[in-house]
Amino acid sequence: MTNITLDNITLKDYTLENLPRLKELRSLSFARRTEICIERARFVTRYLLYHDNPADSAEVRQAKKTRHFLHRKRPVFHDRNLLAGSTTSKALGAPLFPEFFALTLWPELDTVNDRKKNIQKLEPEDAQELNLKIFPYWMDKNVLELTRERFNDPECLSLFESLVFFIAAKAGCISHAVPAYVPMLEHGLSGLMAMAAEQEEALANEESREAKEKADFYKAVQISLQGIMDYAGHLAEEAEFLAQVTDDPEVRKECSEMAQVCRLVPAEPATTFREAVNAIWICQVGIHAENINMAMSPGRLDQILYPYYQRDIEAGRLDIGRAIELIGCLWLKIADNVTMVPEASEEMFGGAGTVPAITLGGVDENGEDAVNDLTYIMLRVTELLGIRDPNVNARYDYENNSPEYCRRVSEVILNTKSVPAFFNDKANITTLQGQGETIEHARDYAVIGCVELASSGRDYPASSSIMMNLVAPLEMALFRGKRPITGDEQIGPETPDPADLNSFEEFWEVFKTQLDWLIEKAIELNEYMGAVHQEMMPSPLLSAFFEGPMEKGKDLIFGGARYNSSGATHIGFADVVDSLNAIEQAVFVDRKYGFAELLEMVKNDFKGEEGEKMRLYLKNRAPKYGTEAPIARKNAANVVRHLFELYQSHTNYRGGPYRPSYWTMTNHAGLGGITGALPNGRKARQVFSSGMTPVSGAAPELTACLNAVAELGGEYVPGCWALNIKYTPEDDQQQMSQRFAQTIEAYFRAGGQQVQFNIMTYEMLLDAKKHPGKYPELMVRVSGYSAYFKDLNEMMKDELITRTQYNLTNGMAVPFPEEGGK
Amino acid sequence: MFFSPKAQENLWKEIENSLTSEFVEEFLQALLNLMKIMFVINHEYRENIKKFDGRYQFCSEDGKVTMAAVFSDGRMKVLEKMIDHPHITITFRDGQTLLNFMISPRQDILGSMLRHDVRTKGNLNYLYKFGYMAKKLQLMMPQP
Repeated sequence: MTNITLDNITLKDYTLENLPRLKELRSLSFARRTEICIERARFVTRYLLYHDNPADSAEVRQAKKTRHFLHRKRPVFHDRNLLAGSTTSKALGAPLFPEFFALTLWPELDTVNDRKKNIQKLEPEDAQELNLKIFPYWMDKNVLELTRERFNDPECLSLFESLVFFIAAKAGCISHAVPAYVPMLEHGLSGLMAMAAEQEEALANEESREAKEKADFYKAVQISLQGIMDYAGHLAEEAEFLAQVTDDPEVRKECSEMAQVCRLVPAEPATTFREAVNAIWICQVGIHAENINMAMSPGRLDQILYPYYQRDIEAGRLDIGRAIELIGCLWLKIADNVTMVPEASEEMFGGAGTVPAITLGGVDENGEDAVNDLTYIMLRVTELLGIRDPNVNARYDYENNSPEYCRRVSEVILNTKSVPAFFNDKANITTLQGQGETIEHARDYAVIGCVELASSGRDYPASSSIMMNLVAPLEMALFRGKRPITGDEQIGPETPDPADLNSFEEFWEVFKTQLDWLIEKAIELNEYMGAVHQEMMPSPLLSAFFEGPMEKGKDLIFGGARYNSSGATHIGFADVVDSLNAIEQAVFVDRKYGFAELLEMVKNDFKGEEGEKMRLYLKNRAPKYGTEAPIARKNAANVVRHLFELYQSHTNYRGGPYRPSYWTMTNHAGLGGITGALPNGRKARQVFSSGMTPVSGAAPELTACLNAVAELGGEYVPGCWALNIKYTPEDDQQQMSQRFAQTIEAYFRAGGQQVQFNIMTYEMLLDAKKHPGKYPELMVRVSGYSAYFKDLNEMMKDELITRTQYNLTNGMAVPFPEEGGK
Repeated sequence: MFFSPKAQENLWKEIENSLTSEFVEEFLQALLNLMKIMFVINHEYRENIKKFDGRYQFCSEDGKVTMAAVFSDGRMKVLEKMIDHPHITITFRDGQTLLNFMISPRQDILGSMLRHDVRTKGNLNYLYKFGYMAKKLQLMMPQP
């Protein structure tokens, strides 16, 4: 049964010209400069200094800390956005979470206002407070230092701190979740609190430790949710005050309406579309009071909000224009915060947003077409605004969703040049079922952050727990457990000299030895950090928005969710596979070069005439991932399967498995920039390929490329991947969107899980690098998320420029322009 | 203890000269000594170490340089030896890398660590605090 009542799904009649509020807010959002907000850091530090009771359970301490902040959080209205609430006290704020990496800002407290790239403004008095009052308190108390202290500075921590092996993301966050907002909308926070109170009361006479722990959890939930209600109450007061003092009748009306909304929701059940939208936003703000702003994803909003939309439309309380305006306001609110990034990190990894993902379309829990009018409204808003966050993703089931929907998503991608990303329902539902999820739960998946999958509000996947640099174990296999960048230090096990090996299979075993050793270390550290999170950062507030914790009486961090897992993503996949291919073909099949000779040239960055000759051979003659070459297909599949089996054999501290994935944010550029040459002919310090994408220039045919990636999909990639494809824009957009949609369908039928696009040419990106002022709003897909091209570091810009560009008409790669090309 | 304006000026000069010096010990010694003196003569700067206990060990990779800075009771001591129980040990490849790491106008802590020009062992938050104090010192440097 179709849920579409719109006359025209493109909603082309709704433009920024006839939506002046959105036009103004959008223009403000581009004009705003980031300001560092110390509000949360100030209040949580004061709470811990003066009010904390160590005798309370970890959950209750966390809840009291969060409520203390939310109660004091300033209710501010920065502009004419129709939704009340903001994640920080600034119009575009970078909040500080001293529990994690906030102290990395310390060296530049006096200079952050003047730095060259992506300035983040900091008030001098705030810098003073951070230096003398806030940061000193946290010197020995953030997640990283507590891990060091509690586990006696383990070797796995040193590996992480050297930054070139893996990143243990729990030092910076867990976040990465999709809350379940339906119970909140239906019962209100008061209703959820009443349920928690009832459970707590039922446990009151039980003496067991387990009962006491459960009762503490329910108590913590109530305290946390009260914090959100306090904040909503203060928003109402402020809106009422503004309504009183303004001379503008229109502003008075808007403020009065906002006050009314905040008096009702999220405390009570939402009754209208507007109330539902604002209730979700205020709860998002509340969640950010407890959890750092990293990939906290609202999920399937077209499904969650649809009953409210439908009811209001039918009752004549809402029209499409107003719905677009409200959703636009929500999109702009979601983009009201960025992460605090110290200058050095900005240089290496900068340009990322906070990646709150919205998921549209796909099928419902019964496997039927879930696309509705609101899906198209949200697509139109995404098209009109063209902003970095939220990270909008479109699910597509090629059997149950309509071709019109696929074409419309394609059209939005062509118009925005980059968003949304496409996700394959068939493959992703299968992969989640493979992780033990029921089919109904798997069908209700949403995207988290970049590309990760989770059953909405049931799955706590800590999806960025490990970011593994796959090139590290490759180099360790080549150099007997050492890496050129770490000199003579023996890092991994001392494996045989590759020059003494007799077959590629023997080298594969050596590679696996180093890979497994490094992954074991990364998992060990993740487990240590998980234990520290259990002590200092439980999430009773977020737990209230999940299926599982409220039933089990257990916080998410202790395994309360219905499904638990830890995610491990991989950097340098294509470069490693191509290096394996090159070794197999050149050393063991063709016997063109000896292994010792190859290693010598790799060490010397292929210098000299002979080196360049070898490099060109490896680059042009060795099999490449992204083509039909059997060696390349075999090695890619072997790496993916081996990683899957290895991770899945581990159970995390919450009782769930580890899930491998392949997305890289900007790490492939940063890590590539400091790494030596590789056997695939890659010269030293060149960027690695992004996500699951073949190396630039390695896959000349689009169909072969998509098939080679697609055949790896499904069971073995439960965390999903980011595949980046660049297409030449065409004049006939209608014809292009048709071909675009057909290509998507073919790729999905072959098993591809995800794909994202940049619709731009080499020349355009070269020009954007040269003349950033000409492209202030140019948005690009990096590896799982969107960024403004001008904000990216030079290496990342180069990576985007050199990504293979395909001509969709003939399906062939477009040659990179000769030097001096436009 | 009193430091005349002339003596202070000389110290700044020493730092400035050491910024271009190839000898890491000169730069490090000048930096730590100047820091120590500024804590004495500049009340506002002294606020940074008022209730601060911190033990820093600096070493060069070739073992030629071993210096330490110890902060305690609002005072700073500079020692030319290995100390017990440092909060953080910073081992650097050469003078230029330490300079980039600590005080360069384009301070590059992460880049230095990524390139393994500098290695650390211990609590990084102590390093960030030291980085702030070193940067502050640099900002206090008289402009030509």
